[in-house]
Amino acid sequence: MSLLSFVLKRIGRGLLTIWFAVTVTFLMLRLLPGDPAIAIASTNMTPAIRAELLRTYGLDQPLPVQYVKYLGQLLQGNLGISFSQNIPVTDSLMEMLPWTLLLVGASLVVTVLLGIPLGVAAAARAGGVLDRLVQVVAVTGQSLFVPSVGILLLYVFGLQLGWFPIGGAYTDGTYGGAWYVSVISHLVLPSLSLVLVQLGSYVLTVRSTLIEALGEDYVTLAHANGLPGRRVLWKHALRNALLPTTTLIGLQICLYLVGGVILIETVYAYPGIGRGIYDAVIRLDFPLLQGAFLLLAAVVVVVNMITDVVYGLLDPRVKVGS
Amino acid sequence: MISRPRLITAAVAVALLAACAPEAPGTGSGGSTSGNQVSDATLTIATTTDVVNYNPLVGNSRSDYWITNLMYPHLLSIGPDGNKQPELATKWGYDNPTSGYYEIKSGLKWSDGKPLTAKDVAFTLNATKRDKPAGTLTGQLTNMASATAVSDTRVEVKLSAPDSTVIPEVGFWGNIVPQHVFEPAGSVAKFANDGSNGGWVSAGPYVLSDVQRGQSYTMTRVDNYPLVEGGKPKAAKIVYRVFPDVNTEILSLKNGDVDVIANSLPPAQVKGLQGTDGIKVAEVPGLGYAHMTYNMTKPDLAKKEVRQALAQAVDYDAIRKVVLQDQGVSTGSSPIMPVLKDFYDDSIKEYSYDPAGSKKLLQQAGYTADGNGNFPLTFRMIYSLQDPVTTQWATLVKDGAAKAGITIELQGLERNTYLAKTNAGDFDIYAGNFAIMDDPATNMALTYLPKGAINYSYVDDSALNDLITRARVTFDRDKQRPILQKAAKMVRDNVYDNIMYTQNLYVAYRSDWSGFSVKPSELLSIVNPISVASATKSK
Repeated sequence: MSLLSFVLKRIGRGLLTIWFAVTVTFLMLRLLPGDPAIAIASTNMTPAIRAELLRTYGLDQPLPVQYVKYLGQLLQGNLGISFSQNIPVTDSLMEMLPWTLLLVGASLVVTVLLGIPLGVAAAARAGGVLDRLVQVVAVTGQSLFVPSVGILLLYVFGLQLGWFPIGGAYTDGTYGGAWYVSVISHLVLPSLSLVLVQLGSYVLTVRSTLIEALGEDYVTLAHANGLPGRRVLWKHALRNALLPTTTLIGLQICLYLVGGVILIETVYAYPGIGRGIYDAVIRLDFPLLQGAFLLLAAVVVVVNMITDVVYGLLDPRVKVGS
Repeated sequence: MISRPRLITAAVAVALLAACAPEAPGTGSGGSTSGNQVSDATLTIATTTDVVNYNPLVGNSRSDYWITNLMYPHLLSIGPDGNKQPELATKWGYDNPTSGYYEIKSGLKWSDGKPLTAKDVAFTLNATKRDKPAGTLTGQLTNMASATAVSDTRVEVKLSAPDSTVIPEVGFWGNIVPQHVFEPAGSVAKFANDGSNGGWVSAGPYVLSDVQRGQSYTMTRVDNYPLVEGGKPKAAKIVYRVFPDVNTEILSLKNGDVDVIANSLPPAQVKGLQGTDGIKVAEVPGLGYAHMTYNMTKPDLAKKEVRQALAQAVDYDAIRKVVLQDQGVSTGSSPIMPVLKDFYDDSIKEYSYDPAGSKKLLQQAGYTADGNGNFPLTFRMIYSLQDPVTTQWATLVKDGAAKAGITIELQGLERNTYLAKTNAGDFDIYAGNFAIMDDPATNMALTYLPKGAINYSYVDDSALNDLITRARVTFDRDKQRPILQKAAKMVRDNVYDNIMYTQNLYVAYRSDWSGFSVKPSELLSIVNPISVASATKSK
C-alpha cells in the first residue's frame, strides 16, 4: 500500500471516528440531568420564560430534528452559538486552545527530554544506586496529586521566593518581547507540575523497555563486534526501546488535551480549554461542549495518525500500511 | 547526524506549535501610570469566574454582575439598613396602584458622549419585557405593562395589576443599557455585547477596555461619573483577574498581585487572613439565607407536626458555630432577615433544638417508634456538592434528626442534577441558599404562593396567600410591615420553610487601599460602583 492510500484510508477512518464522537457527544449532553434554561436562567424565572429560552436554543424540537440541524451546521463549518455567551463557539474555543497546546506541548517536551536520559541512565546501571533512586523518585512522582503540587510550588516559588508569578498566562500590560518573557515565566510552574507528575511514567517505561532490549541478541552481537558501549546503548538499544514511549507520548497528548489539564489550569488560573470545558459543563452550554469535544476528537485522531507514522519511522520492521 | 525524516518531523512539530502558539497582544499604551501613583493607581480585583455574558440583561454570574455593574447603572441600590437607595434615580414611587415612576438624574452621559435619558430607561424595561432575556430583571417585570419616557428625566411605568414591589425591585435589579447600542443589535436576549462592534459604552465609573478571557478584564476610568464624590473615580484602572482556585487567589493577595478578593472567603480562611500583615478583612452583611424546605406533596411532610419535629431536631447554634465559625446570624427562623431593619420582627424566635420534643410531636401525630426509638420516617435530602457549607451542615442535620428517631438520607448532587431535581420537586427535603432576598413581599410571593417560581415546599395556605397578596398591593410601608411580619410568623410556626441563618460574608483587601463602602450581599459588598470608584491607594 502506498503512503498516499494509507494516509487517505486513515483520514477516512478518522472522519468516521469524529462523526461517532460528535454523535455520542450530542446524545450524551441531552441525557444529562437538567437543561440549559435551568442552568443559565435566573432562579426567579417563571416556567413560561424557561420554556421560551428552550425554544430560543432550539431544544424544544424533537431530538432527530436537532441532530440533523446540528450535522448540517457542522458540514458548513459552523459550530454554532454558545448558549451562555451568545458568541460563536469557534471564537470561544480559539481563545482557549492555544494556551492548552502551549502548556501540554512545553511540559511534554521537557518530560521527554528528561525522561529518556533518566530512563537510559537507570537502565544502564540497573540495580545500582542511581537506578533505585530514579525508581523511587519516578514512582513518587506518579502518585502526586496535581493540585497539591501546584499549590506547593506556588507557595514556595511564587509567594516565598518570588521567582515566578502566581496565576495567569502572562503579565497584563506587557507587549512585544516582554510579553513573551512573561508568557515563559508564567509557563514554568504549571509545566513543572505536569512534568513532575508525568515524568515517572516515561522514566519507568524507557527503563524497563531498555533493560529488555539490552538483553537481546543483537545487543550482545554489537558488543562482540567491538562497538562502543554508549553507541550500542543510545543508537541500537534505545531506538527499539523508544517504541512504547512513542505510544505513551501519543496517549498522554490525548489524555491531557481531553480534560487532563483542567486541574492544572484551575490551580494556576491558566486560561486553557480544560477550564472552558468545565465552565461549559456547569452551564450546560451544549454548543460549546459539542464544539470542544469535536475539536478534541479531531486532535486525538491527528495525534494518533502522527504516532503511527513516527512508529514507522522509528522501527523499520513496521511498514506504513502493513 | 540527524536523518532527513527526523528533521522533517521536527520541523513539522515546530511549525505546528508555532501556528498554535498564543498571539501577543498588539502594542498598546502600556497601561502605565502617571507620576502620582495615588490618583492613577490600578485596582486589581480577584474573582473566581470568567465573565460569561457582557449583556447585563442576560448575565447571571457574579463576575458578569460585578463588571457590567461598573458600566450600566441601576436605578436604585440598597443601603446597610436594607432600604433601597437612589443611584441613577433620584425619586421613585407610585402615582396610583397601577402606575409608577422614576425620576432620574439630569445631565448624565454615556462614555461615547451620548446623553443618558429616561428613553434609555424605558427602552431597557420594554425591550426586556419583550425579548425575555435570561437575567433576573425579566422575572421582575411580570406585572409591568409598559414604560414610557415622558421627559428626559422621568419614566412612567404602567402595571397590568396593582403591585407595590415592581418599582423598587425593577429599580434594584435592572441595569440600564444604552438604547443607541442595544436597539440596533435586535433582540436584547441574543445580543452578546462583547465589544466586537467597537468596544463598550458605559455610564458607570469604568468602561471595559480589554478582555483577555480566562485571565483578566481591564476597565478604564470614565472621567465624568457624577455619582462619586468629586465626579471622577479615583483609580485609573480596574483589572479583574480570574483565579478559579481560591487558594491561588489568596496567595496572590498575599503576594500583592491583587488588591481585593471580590468573592466571599470560605469561613475557614477568614481568621487566617484577619491575622495577616498588610491585609484587611471587611465584613459584608448577607442579604440571603440558607434554608431547608420540606416537600409538602409528600404525605408525611404535609403534616405540620412532622415538619416541626424536623425543625426542632436541628442544632442551629452548632451549625453556625462549627460550620460557619460564628459567621452566621439567626433570623429567628423567619424569612425576614435582621438586615432588613424596617421589616424584621425580633419577637419571632428560632426553633429550639429539642430532639426529645420532636419525638413527642411525632407521637402526638400518631407515629410509633420501634425498639430502637426510630420512627417509620425516612426522608431524602438533596443539596449541591458545589456548596461546601451546606455539604458540611447536611451531616449535622442528619445526625440531629437521628436523635429524634427520623432517618435522613443525604443525597449530595452535582449542581445541574440538583437544580433539575429541585425544579421537578424530586426530593423530600431541599437544602440550599437564596443569595439575595431584598424585598419580603416579592420574595414571599416567589417562595410561598402556589405558583411561585421558587416555592420548593409546594405550600398552598389560603391564609398565607391572602397575606402575601395583600402585602403586594399595599403601598404604604407602615401598613405593609405588619402584614409581612404576620406572614413571616405563619411561615415560621407552620414550618413552611426552615430558615437556618443569614451568612455574613467576608472579603479581603490589601491595607494600602482604603475608601471602600460596604453594601449588603456578595454582589455589592465592596465592589459596588460607588465603592470601587471611591477606593484610593496610599503612598
